Amino acid sequence: MAGAIIENMSTKKLVIFGVILLLFQAFSFMVGGLIAPGPTSVVHYLATKCVDTAKSHQSTKWFMPWGPNQCEKIRTFDEAMAKKIEANNIVFAVHIPLPNKEMSPWFQFILVILQFDIAFKMNNQIEDGALATVDVGLAYRDDSLSEWTEMAHSLEQRKLNCNFTTIKTYENEGRYYECDLLPFMEVGSVAHKYYLLNIRLPVHERKKVNVGIGEIKDIRLVGIHQNGGFTKVWFAMKTFLTPSILIIMIWYWRRITLMTRPPVLLEKVIFALGISMTFINIPVEWFSVGFNWTWMLLFGDIRQGIFYSMLLSFWIIFCGEHLMDQTERNRFSIYWKQVGPIVFGSFCLFIFDMCERGVQLTNPFYSIWASDVGTELAMAFIIVAGICACLYFLFLCFMVFQVFRNISGKRTSLPAMSKARRLHYEGLIFRFKFLMLVTLFCAAMTVIFFIISQVNEGHWHWGDYTVQVNSAFFTGIYGMWNLYVFAIMFLYAPSHKRYGDNQSSDPGASSGEEIQLTTTITHVDGPTEVYKMMGKDSQE
Amino acid sequence: MNAEYVLRCLLMLCFALFSANASNWLYLAKLTSVGSIANEETCERLRGLIQRQVQICKRSIEVMDAVRRGAQLAIDECQFQFRNRRWNCSTLETMPVFGKVVTQGTREAAFVYAISAASVAFAVTRACSSGELEKCGCDRNVHGVSPEGFQWSGCSDNIAYGVAFSQSFVDVRERGKGQSSSRALMNLHNNEAGRKAILSHMRVECKCHGVSGSCEVKTCWKAMPPFRKVGNVIKEKFDGATEVEQRKVGTAKALVPRNSQFKPHTDEDLVYLEPSPDFCERDPRTPGMLGTVGRQCNRTSKAIDGCELMCCGRGFQTEEVQVVDRCSCKFHWCCYVKCKQCPKTVEMHTCR
Repeated sequence: MAGAIIENMSTKKLVIFGVILLLFQAFSFMVGGLIAPGPTSVVHYLATKCVDTAKSHQSTKWFMPWGPNQCEKIRTFDEAMAKKIEANNIVFAVHIPLPNKEMSPWFQFILVILQFDIAFKMNNQIEDGALATVDVGLAYRDDSLSEWTEMAHSLEQRKLNCNFTTIKTYENEGRYYECDLLPFMEVGSVAHKYYLLNIRLPVHERKKVNVGIGEIKDIRLVGIHQNGGFTKVWFAMKTFLTPSILIIMIWYWRRITLMTRPPVLLEKVIFALGISMTFINIPVEWFSVGFNWTWMLLFGDIRQGIFYSMLLSFWIIFCGEHLMDQTERNRFSIYWKQVGPIVFGSFCLFIFDMCERGVQLTNPFYSIWASDVGTELAMAFIIVAGICACLYFLFLCFMVFQVFRNISGKRTSLPAMSKARRLHYEGLIFRFKFLMLVTLFCAAMTVIFFIISQVNEGHWHWGDYTVQVNSAFFTGIYGMWNLYVFAIMFLYAPSHKRYGDNQSSDPGASSGEEIQLTTTITHVDGPTEVYKMMGKDSQE
Repeated sequence: MNAEYVLRCLLMLCFALFSANASNWLYLAKLTSVGSIANEETCERLRGLIQRQVQICKRSIEVMDAVRRGAQLAIDECQFQFRNRRWNCSTLETMPVFGKVVTQGTREAAFVYAISAASVAFAVTRACSSGELEKCGCDRNVHGVSPEGFQWSGCSDNIAYGVAFSQSFVDVRERGKGQSSSRALMNLHNNEAGRKAILSHMRVECKCHGVSGSCEVKTCWKAMPPFRKVGNVIKEKFDGATEVEQRKVGTAKALVPRNSQFKPHTDEDLVYLEPSPDFCERDPRTPGMLGTVGRQCNRTSKAIDGCELMCCGRGFQTEEVQVVDRCSCKFHWCCYVKCKQCPKTVEMHTCR
């Protein structure tokens, strides 16, 4: 046998196959756009200012902002001034979620952002490079009456990046600084119903703790979590996609094992691509609904990373195997120059992710961006990964260019070739151009939708219908890459048909060229095929 | 002429008196004696509310504390924005809070209506975020066809609730009169302009949280501007307010600029019907018109806070005053200030 299914398929069948894929594609966009809600929800919280009346602040008391057992509150700090309450006695309390709501495991994660409202005062300004030291505790409970259980406690530092946009005069006192958002907390699983945050800003003048951070008026938090509806749609999609990819993968591998020759490199890579896709697809997230697995976020990152690097390696190897420059490849080690950057880049991102989300498994308030050293380290990792990505794309573009150059070179000499050889090259060219086109299409779709989702406000209205563009982007693009892998495994599986099946012979076969047919994936079969044909010829 | 007729006449008179001033609810800010508005009976006793506002009060009793805070906020902000003007937004201890100054359709009235509508929306939204209210963004359907609920699709923004509440509570008086009088139209317009000052200055903030924190997944939200900013915006609109009159446009009545050369006002602009008085002299017949006698002024300024304009040409007197200033202070972020006392002499100018 020689060539893949795609070469031997009739145009009609290929069109039908393409239309079916497009239908599935449209369906996956519609699932996200029409059924699912937006991917994430935002809840604004305004911290309640509680007064800690106890003398020692080490007590394990939790302060509730509202409801029964709520703390002793003050509205403004002028009130505290009058009552002679010190900064160290003030606890900012935030209950997640708001009253009459419950958190749910379907939310998958909670991400909290911290914002200080700092008023400008002529003689109490924010100093340069001011650090806010935040003493924060997180507790949970599962019914509204039981005691709070501590989940995490930490002393964190955050850099206040604030600027005052108007002129600093007495006239403008009371206006707020404009401060950057501060990453505050990230919890990778939402196993409990109620969460409580108690935040203190301890002042220690001698140690210069929380000195020169201006006049704080309020603490605002922004909580982000995935929407339950989106999670359900997403899980359903994964559960549906897993068996589809798995079945085509088994079918594909059976085809390969049925052949007399061992599988070539490209076939192995396609199979590996299938495996990494399945790895992403397998809906292990279902467990996160029942178990408190905080590492799910990190695990998801790792799975995506593996798939991306597999996809990038596949493109390189596919181009390499279609170079048609008479060099023997078919070995993974040949491609170390191109695959190296991918591996190294994704390794850098992995280390970075471990430093951020890995540490967050033990301390949800940790952020690598909070400290200067951490920021530099993180930037270093990201820059190295970026350089690797650039290197990779240079290699890829160069390779694609080489392929096209060889194709145009071959074009001119095609009519002069023998039939077998011509068909072989035409097959190669067609296969390459087809994948090139499909890949470009998919990449363009991804980029376009990415831009739309970044620019757009998230949903479009069409009469009574609301289309969730962001959800459509996620489900659509996810479905698209699944279909891509599916199509590759189906179309590039070895075909049962043969080059010369229909025409019995080619009278003008010249004997000099066949030896050169030892390139590309058919090199094991190619010569035998040609010899067979030669044999046929000689018999005639 | 029977007793019933007299009674009805009296009621009508009361109604007419009150209808001139729909901002009476601002008096809530002065009700410090009423602890917190906790039960429905308190609603009846609140002075300054009209009947329909009392009904709203009873229906959503938990919001009333926020409304009161809003009223206080509006007065504070008004006094800050007008601190250098002849009319400095001074309040009286009686109703109406600003005296008779805002009963005419002047620029000042336009500002007061706008800032108070905005402040209620602002205060209610804040109360939502701090968990004081239970309804807020979650009982409103904004997500279209998808099944509702906090679990499925989260809640809508609290600001939508704040604005909607401000619309129902503050606008209720003008809505009741079928939008006929030009004053009602002016008030409605300015109320809406005040709320727009918040809505069109919401700050969009975003957070990326995709793989390794990349922007593959990005969540954006709108954050409410600080109220000082809202005050500044409305003050700017006050400075550029349009004088309008009522005209028939098609079948409906609408407010159009009195000077047809001017371009028509937008939804965010303030409009007024009558030019303001000069606020120079004290007028005993108009409560709240305090005049500028005794006001401090700035000698070097050529603007409205300068002695020339502030004192309406009556001249000013200058005296040297010893003030104890606080200097070289040490602050904590809250509740602690340690200062040295530095006495110094300053020149003070007051209007004659």
